[in-house]
Amino acid sequence: MKKAPGDEPNEALTVSSPKKWAAGVPAVVHALEYSLEETSPVRTGETLLTMNQVGGIDCPGCAWADPAPGHRHRNEYCENGAKHINDEATSRRVTPDFFRTHTVSELARRSDQWLNQQGRLTEPVVKRPGSDFYEPISWHDAFGLLAGELKSLDSPDEAVFYTSGRASNEAAFLLQLFARALGTNNLPDCSNLCHESSGFALHETLGTGKGTVSLDDLHHADLIFVVGQNPGSNHPRQLSALEQAKRNGARIIAVNPLPEAGLLRFKNPQKPRGLIGKGTQIADRFLQIRNGGDLALFQGINRLLLEAEDARPGRVLAHDFIRSDTKGFEEFAAHVRTVGWDDILAATGLTREEIEQVRDEVLRSERVIVCWAMGITQHKHAVPTIREMVNFLLLRGNVGRAGTGACPVRGHSNVQGDRTMGIWEQMPDDFLDALQEEFGFDPPRAHGLDSVNAIRAMREGRVKFFLALAGNFVRAAPDSEITEEAMRGCRLTAHISTKLNRSHTVCGETALILPTLGRTERDVQADGEQFVTVENSMSEVHTSHGRLRPSSPLLLSEISILCRLARHTLGDGVGDIPWDRFEADYGVIRDSISRIVPGLHDFNRRVTRPGGIQLPNAVNEGVYHNDVGKALFTANAFEMPRAPEGHLLLQTLRSHDQWNTVPYTADDRYRGIRGSRRVVLVNPEDVSALGLAEGQYVDLVGVWDDDTERRAEGFRVVPYPTARGCAAAYYPETNVLVPLDSVADKSNQPTSKGIVVRLEPAAAPVPAAAGS
Amino acid sequence: MYTVEETIEVAVPVRTAYNQWTQFKGFPGFMTVVKKVVQVRPALLTWTLGFGPVHREFQIEIVEQEPDSHLTWQGLGRRPVHRGEVSFRPGTAGGTAVTVRIEIGSRGATGVFGGLPRLAGRVVRTELTHFKEYVEGLGAESGAWRGVIRDGRVRPREPKPDRSRAAHWPVG
Repeated sequence: MKKAPGDEPNEALTVSSPKKWAAGVPAVVHALEYSLEETSPVRTGETLLTMNQVGGIDCPGCAWADPAPGHRHRNEYCENGAKHINDEATSRRVTPDFFRTHTVSELARRSDQWLNQQGRLTEPVVKRPGSDFYEPISWHDAFGLLAGELKSLDSPDEAVFYTSGRASNEAAFLLQLFARALGTNNLPDCSNLCHESSGFALHETLGTGKGTVSLDDLHHADLIFVVGQNPGSNHPRQLSALEQAKRNGARIIAVNPLPEAGLLRFKNPQKPRGLIGKGTQIADRFLQIRNGGDLALFQGINRLLLEAEDARPGRVLAHDFIRSDTKGFEEFAAHVRTVGWDDILAATGLTREEIEQVRDEVLRSERVIVCWAMGITQHKHAVPTIREMVNFLLLRGNVGRAGTGACPVRGHSNVQGDRTMGIWEQMPDDFLDALQEEFGFDPPRAHGLDSVNAIRAMREGRVKFFLALAGNFVRAAPDSEITEEAMRGCRLTAHISTKLNRSHTVCGETALILPTLGRTERDVQADGEQFVTVENSMSEVHTSHGRLRPSSPLLLSEISILCRLARHTLGDGVGDIPWDRFEADYGVIRDSISRIVPGLHDFNRRVTRPGGIQLPNAVNEGVYHNDVGKALFTANAFEMPRAPEGHLLLQTLRSHDQWNTVPYTADDRYRGIRGSRRVVLVNPEDVSALGLAEGQYVDLVGVWDDDTERRAEGFRVVPYPTARGCAAAYYPETNVLVPLDSVADKSNQPTSKGIVVRLEPAAAPVPAAAGS
Repeated sequence: MYTVEETIEVAVPVRTAYNQWTQFKGFPGFMTVVKKVVQVRPALLTWTLGFGPVHREFQIEIVEQEPDSHLTWQGLGRRPVHRGEVSFRPGTAGGTAVTVRIEIGSRGATGVFGGLPRLAGRVVRTELTHFKEYVEGLGAESGAWRGVIRDGRVRPREPKPDRSRAAHWPVG
């Protein structure tokens, strides 16, 4: 294990050619290398060998589903999962001495990487008004401070409770219960920033908020679209499923502005052929689309399918299905026939021939799945884009059958489960009625604040109290400077966290850090050792059992923290909520959940079976719980993001050595970038056209219709094979460029993949410090 | 590709025989070659067959299912397909004639005995006999799935399932 770094990482940028394949031996080496830098070989073995196994630790990384019990590898994890879990299991510790020697102001100048690498938090600390230091505080006093602040608010709606996708089902359920018992629906979550657009579009068209496919469906699809996602870095285990699909005969079409390594070829490190062979070609066809051109692409494909039906009546579309299960076909068809090819080609940057070849692939396929991620959801027109992908699936009956369906790929292990548990500012009345019946209080019915609206409310002084259940809100949120100003305006900010991050340094007048157990750690309560549950991207709910000795005896579980906070705040005054019993035995929480959350009846018994519970999806039973009771075709107005002459469309993205807002190193191996994250990837022809040079320093300047200048300083230009007119740079460094008001229609999700920027030559580099 | 077809008369009503047949997950309890059945969804199942030391797992899609009448299925996957049908017709004295018809490719349904038509026929006949003994011994079905499947798609029941069976709100 290496010691925590004292100095900021300071390496020189080197650039090499992007890789053309993902995983293989280097993935194994890098996973072990990072793990052993963080902790001992014994702890590394304990985490990795139980990770994603039945009865083991669920990977706190992405939400990709595990293979069925009996089909899992002994090493059922990916490089990034291994890095992530040992980042949590690190042997480094942040002690009270650390906070005595570092002011909050100084920590606020540190990079995300440096803060993360200091290690695990060990005891609660508080920053008092006027002080620039965190100092130790007892748990009792911390809860008293929080409860006092909450009780002093003029209205419960002056408080906001944020949830990250790391939180377990049980913790998420308790957080929403506490917030609603207090009297507010202000429950923003990280879903607001990642797949909110998917939820809105799928709910409107199919009546489900979730994807409709299982791993078995992927294995038996004839054709899989992988759209706007980078599985090699963000969901590496998806590559195993795609590889299996390929071996079963599937073809894969990848659609992305960047030719990501994982989209092209995969060397499965679990298989001999992946270690010594050429691996498996993933994409049979790669469509290098412009940022935000996906709506146009699917409108083009849909138009071609309608024309194919015109040429061969009765042989292209799923007429029986369209007649029996859908509504709105005529309006959709009439509209999509009007979308012009000039627009489609301009928006996509593709040729008509390329799109016609896709049509031919579709016509040869009986079973089609569309997978997508944030390359789709983080655009102004994300909801219409996903609706158009649903149109595409419906045209040939590609929902509700084996090997077909919609597959939004979620990036954080329990982001889907948290929403199932009621973390949403707009929960429907039937859920709130069930809460009322179970606990005997009347939950508030007025909708609360999502993430973007919470920032607005904090900024305007309407919200004074911010509590985060995990996460790194200020770095995940858009418009960094405005978000930070909003947070600093709060009377009290508090974070339930495992490690230090920038959100702890951008704090309210009073600030608390409440250190908690990680998912890797044993959780022993009054009634004995506990486990928690999570829901993956394919709606499977299963257990996660911590194995390691806690990082500090003063850590409390998320559930303990919430139960004690609730008791301090609510006393016996609200409803009949057994906070003591909840804390002592998480099974009691699951019993309540089983009576409130649909699909989780008999929760405690069923979830402990190997593989857990498969939540029902009504679409696969021919039922559509939307307003029209049918699968809905929609007519979506053509829309594309446009950048004026001399500007580019920027997408923010993760590097390979990064987990959400936390970079582990300054490297991005697959893209050939090493030593610096302050780079902007630009098509070589755009580099020339803009009069720039490779390696030149530039400032990225956002263009938006307000008077605020948004500038990210000191980025190096890297010529890169991205689509023409587009650029890419890492977040959270570039979140400063995403205007708070630039959101997706309907879903209110920030448009982090469609930011108009200009690149201004800069004279000198700036230090790589977060938020600077 | 060859076809195996076997019929057996069971001394229970059609509804009872059909209902019991829908309880796939219980098949390993009374059949000998069927080692495990996982019902991923009503129309998607994983079967494990074992014959001696050889085991073979495969997935099937139920293509059509009509209560008290028949169900048809087809194998999923790249290898040569197999497809089959089981039908239920009124038999003599209130009993039911259960007919299983399977078309098997060269490496077919199981890979265990797919290339051996006579062996395949004997296995089907034996397992049907096990089904007869089991359902007659029970005298009544132990469970039932009365849904309808058309073209691989589960048809909604009337009245439609309560919307509270699944969380229906958007998931971000």
